[in-house]
Amino acid sequence: MKLLLVGMSHRTAPLALRERMAVDDPAPVLRKLTAGDEIDEAVFLSTCNRVELVVLTRDLEAARMRVRSSFRRDLASDAPGEHELEASLYEHVNADAMRHVLRVASALDSMVVGEPQILGQTKDAFRAAVECGAAGPILGRLFQHAFATAKRVRSETRIAERPVSVARVAVGLAAQIFEDFAEKRALLVGAGEMIELALRAMRDAGLTSVRVANRTAERAQQLAARFDATAHGLDDLPRLLPDADVVLTSIGGAEPWLTRPLAEAALRKRRGRPIFVIDIGVPRNADPAIDALDDVYRYDLDDLAAVADENAEERRREQARAEAIVETEQQRFDGWFAALRAVPTIKHLRARVEAIRAAELEKALSRLALDEPARDAVDALTRAIVNKILHAPLSRLRQEAEREEGMAHLETARLLFDLDSGDDAPESEES
Amino acid sequence: MVATLQIVTAVLYFVACAASGAGFALARPAWNRVAVGVLAAGALAHGASFSLLHTLDPPPPLTHLPSALSFMAWIGTLGFLLLVWRAKLAGLVVLVAPMSLLGVLASLSAGRGAVPEESLGAGSLPHAHVLLASAGLALLGLAGLAGALFLVEHTRLKRKRPPSGGGAWPSLEALDRAGAFAVAAGFPLLTLGVLYGALWQREASGLLWSGSAHETFCLVAWAIYGALAFQRFGARLPARRCAMSALAGFGLLGCAVLGVELLT
Repeated sequence: MKLLLVGMSHRTAPLALRERMAVDDPAPVLRKLTAGDEIDEAVFLSTCNRVELVVLTRDLEAARMRVRSSFRRDLASDAPGEHELEASLYEHVNADAMRHVLRVASALDSMVVGEPQILGQTKDAFRAAVECGAAGPILGRLFQHAFATAKRVRSETRIAERPVSVARVAVGLAAQIFEDFAEKRALLVGAGEMIELALRAMRDAGLTSVRVANRTAERAQQLAARFDATAHGLDDLPRLLPDADVVLTSIGGAEPWLTRPLAEAALRKRRGRPIFVIDIGVPRNADPAIDALDDVYRYDLDDLAAVADENAEERRREQARAEAIVETEQQRFDGWFAALRAVPTIKHLRARVEAIRAAELEKALSRLALDEPARDAVDALTRAIVNKILHAPLSRLRQEAEREEGMAHLETARLLFDLDSGDDAPESEES
Repeated sequence: MVATLQIVTAVLYFVACAASGAGFALARPAWNRVAVGVLAAGALAHGASFSLLHTLDPPPPLTHLPSALSFMAWIGTLGFLLLVWRAKLAGLVVLVAPMSLLGVLASLSAGRGAVPEESLGAGSLPHAHVLLASAGLALLGLAGLAGALFLVEHTRLKRKRPPSGGGAWPSLEALDRAGAFAVAAGFPLLTLGVLYGALWQREASGLLWSGSAHETFCLVAWAIYGALAFQRFGARLPARRCAMSALAGFGLLGCAVLGVELLT
């Protein structure tokens, strides 16, 4: 059996091409792939950053052609040029394919290394393949192993600990200032996309009390309605500021609206409680002079990006440890996968010996006048003898098959027991 | 038995120091929780050692410096454990565990035989004075440690640097609340301790105030604590200034304790 992975990702294909390849329901593609003789099992992973097909096959060349053809005909919604598609596809076989699946599930091949979504997406892809009958025991084992490896990577390294998006960095910083983020009050100034992203991250972190102030009241009301917040105009800012623990601001304007006198007035009313100002406006909405105030913690876009970069660098340092875990796990799976090579030989040897046993038993029983219990006893006796004789050599064959050199033992077994001739000729041996 | 319990306490406090220190150095915040657990076990052993003091013959007083330091370490540890139970403050164990260890080591190194006869107070007044004042000073120490960590974190956030120790430190708000709790609980204890000290003085010499270095130190300590309490709960100064005062007060009293009690 061979493992083949063909796909494209953010490393090899532009977003426009990946978008054309993405599908919501992988079942039709998987059913079509596994309907033929070339492919025994298949899993289809489709995310915004990658489109990959993992298949198990006995005929690598035929499977390769079938999968590439599927990319051209079944997946591309408006056929890209063949050259463009071929240039974007990568291919991994056996150990490399295993390693790739393990790396993908562990978020080591992600655009943002260590991001948490890919594991869930991989699990969804596998579940979909199982539901439509495309994934069998071998890919099942591979993907379960990949999930366990991803879990190891997350628990044994710090690859996912530090946030790398601006919104998540802001939430992380807030957690360093406030003990219980959920009970804090946020003031959002502006209603653009960045504000919405940051607000979403804060909501995920438990923040409940939100006020939105914007130049155009209608836009503020729209955002407020979506996030169960209250909407205000910019004139309300001096009144709203003293109540705000977190200020998230991104509005246009040549001059910063959050000036030092305004911040000082708010702090006086807050009686020592700090304010965390996240200024993602360009130009800046908060005067850097407020940094001199003890209880104001101001981070602008550059500051947040610098923290995000530093966190990303930390993740890259952790990546080496994560890669070592993946390598170990890949080798472990490779051993199990290689042992599958012994299965046809073992099955054939058992069948050959069983045939001999059954024939000899039949001959013996025809010469002996035995009642039913005695016949059963003799039958059980011969089975026990055969099983005991075969146990040690078959176990050894399985062990040896995990090593590349073990192929010689399989060949020897086939030669000694003459397995490649006769009526019960085996299915073709995989190498 | 008491000596054994003190040694067990020291060992447990040392393990807590090692776990929290290694956790910080290796950026493993989860180790702080282990350190807090070990520190709690140490505090149990520590408390047990105090409860068995009466079984010794003669019972050693708590009124000499090493015993008082050990008692301060115990109260400080209990105060910290109470705070950890109520807030996310496990990261503070990196500073608390070494202080707890130092307190027990001071008591162990002095030993029973080293207790100077002249320092022994008789009756309940001297014990009430020492125990209440020590408890008050222990909580001030806790406020000082929380203040020190607050200043480190405040400066880091102001300079926009990433967290050290794998982000193991408590939040600024948690540290500020810890400092406020320590001052709120410690100031009344120290006030009572000073009052009992004055009563003890009057019982011994007929005077409320003799002008000794010890009395002066107690009054200075009380004044510093009073100033801290006023800053926090009266003037509502910014958290950074409260943290600086708590740290300065802790440092000043630390020097005063060693200076006054060791040199006189």
